[in-house]
Amino acid sequence: MTSPTSNQVAVLSADDGLTEPITMRRRFIRAFASNRVAVFGLIIVTIIIFAAAFAEVIAPHDPNKISAMNRLVAPNSEYLLGTDEFGRDILSRLIHGARISMLIAFIAQSVAITIGISLGLISGWFGGIVDDIIMRITDAVFAIPGLMFLIVWVAIIDQAQIGLFSALEGIGLSTRHVSIFFALGLIGWASDARMMRSQVLTIKEREYVIAAKATGATNIQIMVRHLLPNAIAPSIVLASLGVAGAILSESTLSFLGLGVEIPNASWGTMVDQGRNFFTNAWWYAIFPGATIMITVLGFNFVGDGLRDALDPRLLK
Amino acid sequence: MIRYITRRLIQVIPTVFIIYTIVFMLAYAMPGDPIKVVLGEEVNRLSQEQLQAMRENLGIDRPFHEQYLDFLGDMMRFDLGRSFIQREDVIDIIGYRLPRTLQLMLGGMTVALIIGIPAGVISAIKQYTWIDHALMVFALVGLSMPVFWQGLVAQLLLSSNTTGIAIFPVAGYGDGNPYYMILPSLVLGTNLSAIIARVARSAMLEVAGQDYINTARAKGLKGRTVLIRHHLRNAIIPVLTVVGLQVAGLMTGALVTETIFNWPGLGRAIVPAILQRDTPVIMGILLLGAFVYLIVNLITDIMYAVLDPRIRYG
Repeated sequence: MTSPTSNQVAVLSADDGLTEPITMRRRFIRAFASNRVAVFGLIIVTIIIFAAAFAEVIAPHDPNKISAMNRLVAPNSEYLLGTDEFGRDILSRLIHGARISMLIAFIAQSVAITIGISLGLISGWFGGIVDDIIMRITDAVFAIPGLMFLIVWVAIIDQAQIGLFSALEGIGLSTRHVSIFFALGLIGWASDARMMRSQVLTIKEREYVIAAKATGATNIQIMVRHLLPNAIAPSIVLASLGVAGAILSESTLSFLGLGVEIPNASWGTMVDQGRNFFTNAWWYAIFPGATIMITVLGFNFVGDGLRDALDPRLLK
Repeated sequence: MIRYITRRLIQVIPTVFIIYTIVFMLAYAMPGDPIKVVLGEEVNRLSQEQLQAMRENLGIDRPFHEQYLDFLGDMMRFDLGRSFIQREDVIDIIGYRLPRTLQLMLGGMTVALIIGIPAGVISAIKQYTWIDHALMVFALVGLSMPVFWQGLVAQLLLSSNTTGIAIFPVAGYGDGNPYYMILPSLVLGTNLSAIIARVARSAMLEVAGQDYINTARAKGLKGRTVLIRHHLRNAIIPVLTVVGLQVAGLMTGALVTETIFNWPGLGRAIVPAILQRDTPVIMGILLLGAFVYLIVNLITDIMYAVLDPRIRYG
């Protein structure tokens, strides 16, 4: 059963091959670009990141400007998505909220992937008892309910003064933010580790790895120079899906009142507050929730597109 | 077979210890003094000696390793201790809450299977048609919706006459009336149904190319017989594994769903427990959550081995 996509890729590559050598990267980009859903996802993600970066310029109103005259105004031409109970513009708050959501999601995912890839590499390469220990820890992390862990963690960090965390307050992040980055990272690495390990297991017996070992390369050199570059591709897919998951987790935490503090706008917090005005001002909770959904959808589209583009069966 | 199961059981033991250690360290690190929370203002009227006596009574004055080992010993005897705040054993609190959370999880799982499997099968049969594309985009949308927001939208549309049609009750347990379970189960099951649909689709496609499907067709079996007896039956194994792995996610979803629908499950117990520094309750619920996950996955793995002989001898 051949797919239209794989035919298309094959034809493109064949044409290409006449003029210049086809690199894996070029094939990969072609495959990704020919996937309409993935490109659509990439557009969504780009818009959200753009909004997060240039929030001050894009937002039509001051996100924290209180106006007693304009309490809970329904969407209109002045306030496109309506206002909240303090008369603040919801669209502007959503645009500023993008910054927090993106920052938390990206940093949390970087923490997760760094831990996951390192442990996966070590586990797969060394095997034996090291592998057993790391994999049992991975099983444990999978088993502990993530959200419950997060709630307890936030309660701990909120009251404990941890030097490392308060040091970061200088760059405009509260201890709460930083603790959420780390907690999301700490619960998110397990799938990265498993994926990396299984990749390493499939390539560790290849000739180039054996050759490297024979020429006296150290374990670190083999892991970093030979295993990592050849095993990393599927982790990129997981990272993209992981960002989507981190956005969902952060917003859930904020919704439960344990995320980003008021008055800073966070999408999840806005849904939680809008919930109190649900029957007479539906837009207050609906639009922030829809924003979360669209953003997460964007990252999921990109993740799926990356996976399809990396699938060796399509790259033949 | 027995050897496989034994090996799998032995693997679980270190995992259980690691989970216990992580959870204990978290609970130990919880700041704040439960005595102050229980007594409130009264705390100022008591002498240091009285406070110390209360701490000794709760066993929270001893060093880390003593508490760690003590609690571990209790745990082995299924004694989860007593709540600091409520005058109840943790096991009783869980005994009341757990069946309600499991009931909700079961409801969500049923919804997920009823929607997910047919969607995945249809998508695979109609591969690369508009139906397939529509179903898969729809599944991704389902996967991307925050559970708490879905709950609000469902309440807005299905349980209020001003903003929709009041078919279902807004919230509550309704003394076990199954009618109250429908809306929370629908909300909880949506994400999982999307995951199941995606896995079922790829599993069906994987099996479609196998020789035994062609053989079954060639010997003249009816299309539907081939689909159900040969095709779906072989594709169901990966779906089961994913269902097992998703139990943790389902539990997290249940926590949020319980908050929105005011459902008296474990999720509604852990948040106040954290605010009141009720360590035994927090530990009990966290450990329980992890064990439910471990047990479900153990069962899935064993079922997998029963269904697929290659695993047993692998």
